[in-house]
Amino acid sequence: MASQEYSPVAAAVGMDENFLSLDDILMSQEKLTSRVETVFPRLGFLEKSSDETDIAVGTKLEMPLWLVKGLHDGKRRIVSVELPKIYREGWRTVFSADPNVVDLQKLGPYYYSLGLQMLHFDSPENLEIAQTLVQTYVGRFRRIMDSSQNAYNEDVSALVEKLDVLERSLFGAGQAGLNGFQCWEKGHASRITASSLVKNYRKRKFADLEV
Amino acid sequence: MADTMGGFSDSEDESQELMTPAQLIGKLEEAWLNEKFAPELLENKSEIVECVMEQLNHMEENLQRSKKGDLRATIHRMETERIRYVLSSYLRSRLQKIEKYFPHVLEKEKSRAEGEPSYLSPEEYAFAKEYYANTETFLKNVALKSMPPNLQTVDLGKSVPKPNLDSFVFLRVKERQENILVEPETDEQREYAVDFEEGSQHLIRYRTVAPLVASGAVQLI
Amino acid sequence: MFCEKAIELIRELKRAADGQLPAFNEDGIRQVFEEMKALYEQNQMDVNVAKSDGRSDLIPTIKFRHCCLLRNQRCIAAYLCVFYDRLLRIRALRWEYGSVLPTAIRFHMCAEELEWFNQYKKSLATYMRSLGGGGGLDITQDMKPPKSLYIEVRCLKDYGEFEIDDGTTILLKKNSQHFLPRWKCEQLIRQGVLEHVMS
Repeated sequence: MASQEYSPVAAAVGMDENFLSLDDILMSQEKLTSRVETVFPRLGFLEKSSDETDIAVGTKLEMPLWLVKGLHDGKRRIVSVELPKIYREGWRTVFSADPNVVDLQKLGPYYYSLGLQMLHFDSPENLEIAQTLVQTYVGRFRRIMDSSQNAYNEDVSALVEKLDVLERSLFGAGQAGLNGFQCWEKGHASRITASSLVKNYRKRKFADLEV
Repeated sequence: MADTMGGFSDSEDESQELMTPAQLIGKLEEAWLNEKFAPELLENKSEIVECVMEQLNHMEENLQRSKKGDLRATIHRMETERIRYVLSSYLRSRLQKIEKYFPHVLEKEKSRAEGEPSYLSPEEYAFAKEYYANTETFLKNVALKSMPPNLQTVDLGKSVPKPNLDSFVFLRVKERQENILVEPETDEQREYAVDFEEGSQHLIRYRTVAPLVASGAVQLI
Repeated sequence: MFCEKAIELIRELKRAADGQLPAFNEDGIRQVFEEMKALYEQNQMDVNVAKSDGRSDLIPTIKFRHCCLLRNQRCIAAYLCVFYDRLLRIRALRWEYGSVLPTAIRFHMCAEELEWFNQYKKSLATYMRSLGGGGGLDITQDMKPPKSLYIEVRCLKDYGEFEIDDGTTILLKKNSQHFLPRWKCEQLIRQGVLEHVMS
């Protein structure tokens, strides 16, 4: 059982980012294809393949979200971001046909949170992107909830493999609830236990001694 | 169960609080559940905490004096443990929120107007200040000190997230309320009003009902 | 270039399951500092060169500085995130383990973290002592709702003599089983010395 007392800083809700959240930092490391709109002198080191000291206008670079966000300015054109294909029309149609078949772990794994971040870049497709995110979530939610409440469902791992980060934490919460309930049913809710931290440190100590 | 405590209450208690011990424990349990399920730190209930602790001390004293093997003593000891659990859990809930939202909790307390009720007890306030100082010193020593000069400050108020008042809570209505405005969830919906009938249960955003929790009109469950 | 070193520290933390505290990665952290320092100093040099060259075209320099600034800010963010998350794990140790940490865990903490832990437990102790008008209440106990006064426990390792209520002591030897007051055992169960046996 996970540590009861450790509750990490959660990822932010909506288009924000939580400065201290492990998940948000990792999410903003995701690379986006961006087009350089003005000359970037002496920033050739950003582009690994080139030997140039400057980056010419029109160069396409893979840059992490945090850098793109920092450089993006609605009024002055410094960089323009390419919408990742999973948020574009082609894939949006796939999502609306049947959101349950999509493997969001492979396509993401930060499908929802990255999608929300993309809304910062004032794309004309923002409304459609936002709608697809909501509808996809709604479409997949039922199956996630049902599976997490059914401890004996053999298909569970196959489903979990295709979930994005947000959905996995949802699934985890469902399972924790189910386990808690079953524990209570068996009369074990009042059982005092050593925390998993303690158990793990004990195991580790013996491992250290062997060295 | 709490009725068995009737025999232990002092007459002094009755002059301070016109509450029976059973009512006191009832109030503690309400405060405990509200604190557990509310996303933000609620008003402190120091009077309840103090009274409950006094009650616990009385019970302990009586138990010490009782004969070993007395059945009543066993029942009273169980009651003591039960109350201590609820009280500890209540205080723990509060402490966890204080630690989780420490810059905001302190800010709220500092900007409180005269006469407005305090969210923190004096002891909690001292703890929160120490927690802030301890954490700030730590971050300064371990990271910021070695950094380039123009990047050496961090605004804890901006970095540490605030409680999410839009989280959903379950509640039971204690006092009938009319025309509670429910915000729309999507663009297609419109806002609408509901009446809260006494005894009914609802799932709603905390933000909408925060004042009702504070006033005791609803009980979080 | 994109602060991958700092991000690796974050991934390391995420991999540590269930809120465990991984060893303090002194090397990793030092490398991130050095990267930041080098970039800052190089940036400073470039600014001075640009000024002395009398380049009127300030915009390219600004963009370069902007990128470097963003990059360093990013490293700091990752940094603080790592340290803050570790603090949360260290805090959990006080509640799940107690106020005395085993040596193995202490080795995973740097000096500043140990200092934070000591201050934290002092603050907590002061707070708990002040509860109820000076009577005090140890709220790190009573973590589970009480079902009965006495519980069955099995000893998981040799502990030695243990005093219970009326002055009598019992010997806790590995594998011995006892029927003891619940509130007395709680601490030892959480520390892994005893095991709560449910019938």
